[in-house]
Amino acid sequence: MEAYLFYILAVVTVIGTVMAITEQHPVHAIVYLVTSFFSLAMIFFLLSAPLIAMFEVIIYAGAVMVLFMFVIMMLDLGRPSEASRPFLRRWALPMLLGGIILVSIVTVAVNHISSPDTSRMISINDFSVVLFRKYGVAIEIISMQLLFAVVGALYLGRKRDDR
Amino acid sequence: MDTIAIPAINLAVIAPEVVLSVVAMALLLINVFVKSEQKGYLGYLSIAGILGTLLMLIPAWGSSVEGFSGTIIQDNFAIFFKVIFLISAAMSILITDKYLEREGCNQGEIYPLILFATVGMMLMASGTDLMTIFLGLEVLSVSLYVLAGFNRNNIKSNEAGLKYFLLGAFSTGFLLYGMALTYGATGTTKIAKIASYIAMNGVSSSNLMLVAGMILMSTGFAFKVAAAPFHMWTPDVYEGAPTPMTAFMSVGPKAAGFAAFARVLLVALPALKPEWSSLLWVLAVLTMTVGNITALYQQNIKRMLAYSSIAHAGYILVGFTAGNAVGTAGILFYMLSYAFMNIGAFAIIILVGKKGEENSNVSDYAGFGYRHPVLGIAFCIFLFSLAGIPPAAGFIGKFYLFSGAIQAGYIWLAVIGVLNSAASVYYYLRVMVFMYFKEPTEDFEWVKLTPAFVLCLLIAVIGVLVPGVLPGLFLELAQKAVLM
Repeated sequence: MEAYLFYILAVVTVIGTVMAITEQHPVHAIVYLVTSFFSLAMIFFLLSAPLIAMFEVIIYAGAVMVLFMFVIMMLDLGRPSEASRPFLRRWALPMLLGGIILVSIVTVAVNHISSPDTSRMISINDFSVVLFRKYGVAIEIISMQLLFAVVGALYLGRKRDDR
Repeated sequence: MDTIAIPAINLAVIAPEVVLSVVAMALLLINVFVKSEQKGYLGYLSIAGILGTLLMLIPAWGSSVEGFSGTIIQDNFAIFFKVIFLISAAMSILITDKYLEREGCNQGEIYPLILFATVGMMLMASGTDLMTIFLGLEVLSVSLYVLAGFNRNNIKSNEAGLKYFLLGAFSTGFLLYGMALTYGATGTTKIAKIASYIAMNGVSSSNLMLVAGMILMSTGFAFKVAAAPFHMWTPDVYEGAPTPMTAFMSVGPKAAGFAAFARVLLVALPALKPEWSSLLWVLAVLTMTVGNITALYQQNIKRMLAYSSIAHAGYILVGFTAGNAVGTAGILFYMLSYAFMNIGAFAIIILVGKKGEENSNVSDYAGFGYRHPVLGIAFCIFLFSLAGIPPAAGFIGKFYLFSGAIQAGYIWLAVIGVLNSAASVYYYLRVMVFMYFKEPTEDFEWVKLTPAFVLCLLIAVIGVLVPGVLPGLFLELAQKAVLM
């Protein structure tokens, strides 16, 4: 059961990612990318990593993609007139992919596959213990890196100084 | 409620990195209160920070401390590389101030960014976990992208920053994918544990996942050290970036890339040595040949030195291919002397440039040797060392790299290396021919030495000549720092 679901979802992920790369319209590309993130989250769930699945949805599909959308709309790259023309044909594939993901979620929920092997399941407690005990220094490095990425972005993004 | 027991923190392991990052952040704050004309003082403060870090590192020599549950180690190998990074950062800072003033881009952010890039390199040299190495590389790269595009009003600098960013992010993907596959094959990211897992479970070259991981990681590192065929970004980025940053980028990050590369291949994957040494053989030959042949017909001296730095990555790969103690000691020695000769050469290039006009064509150097005899001699010393001509350190370094290859049985590799080295003499000598045998067209009256430049050039000349004339001490240090 899980094996079938895995292969189906893997195909969905690959199609979603390939379409995200090849799609001309940025908003459509983002929709495909969100699709691929969702099916990836399902794969993580099937691999008894519900926490990572949650992160995938909240951080990637949620926060990062919303940021992308926001930037696209702020810079007005969306070309709305172009996007609305052949509505159904454009949206058939993402709806199909999304439908597959939805069906797989329902299947998992109905069959009560909490996760294939509960004993291997990583709880949020285990995760944070490993993160802060073993990789505490890594977190410090990442936070420093973000600080300097912000410094660099602020420097390069400042108004031109013609002196 | 459960509390997380935080294991004992061995701060001694990362003390140098901590000090340098704190200095960098303090400079970021001080920068706000410093007037634009006085940003140079930030440079002196950062050099003080670097000197403090150096003083901290020297007593640690000879001991090997591990910390943070085996993700970071400070051994001789790491300390040797850290000293190279700190020296190259300090020398680049010395020549930065005047250049930025001249180009009208006198912004204080450059010093914290240089220091932070140095922290990244130090983490790469001392990381014993693929995760730490990767994070160190990211810390380094993010700072370098900004440094390459630091001259915001110059379109070439913008191009360099963007190009480096896009290609760097692409190559990081390769590296990360390789690390993920290695993790998948061995179940750990700790370098020592990867090796022991392979030894215990008899995972060998038949394990495609591990081999693919090794190849992808090598690709990522080869990009960072600018080895052919992953060198395409180098000339454009080196040409466009502000010249002091080109000097910085061509030494430190290359050394850091080799440090991490060496630790991953020599410590984690010795079981795959037949595979990776044949891979590196091809890379070394390609890198030396492409670098040298392309450098032969470069008119722009910054581009020429960019291709020459590609060729030098090739020479170092020769010692790496050997994978023995002599070759590895050769890498360490060569990286140290390369720092001095390359930054010295770039310092002269900065001096010859004018505002908005870099004067970086080889023909612009016509008669320079007569107008400024001392600078001319210094430039000759650096170029001779780059070409590998005896009294300079470059010769001893190449000698060790190639003898390591011969000892390991790679006779042909050494032969190709020596032939390449001979070919490279042409383009270094060409600059000298222009300096001494052509009629001067300019009077070079704008070339003005500041104390910082004098200091930088003095350090560079000493650093090239002393290890060249008396290599014993430095080689002994390098041999003590070898990973095996």
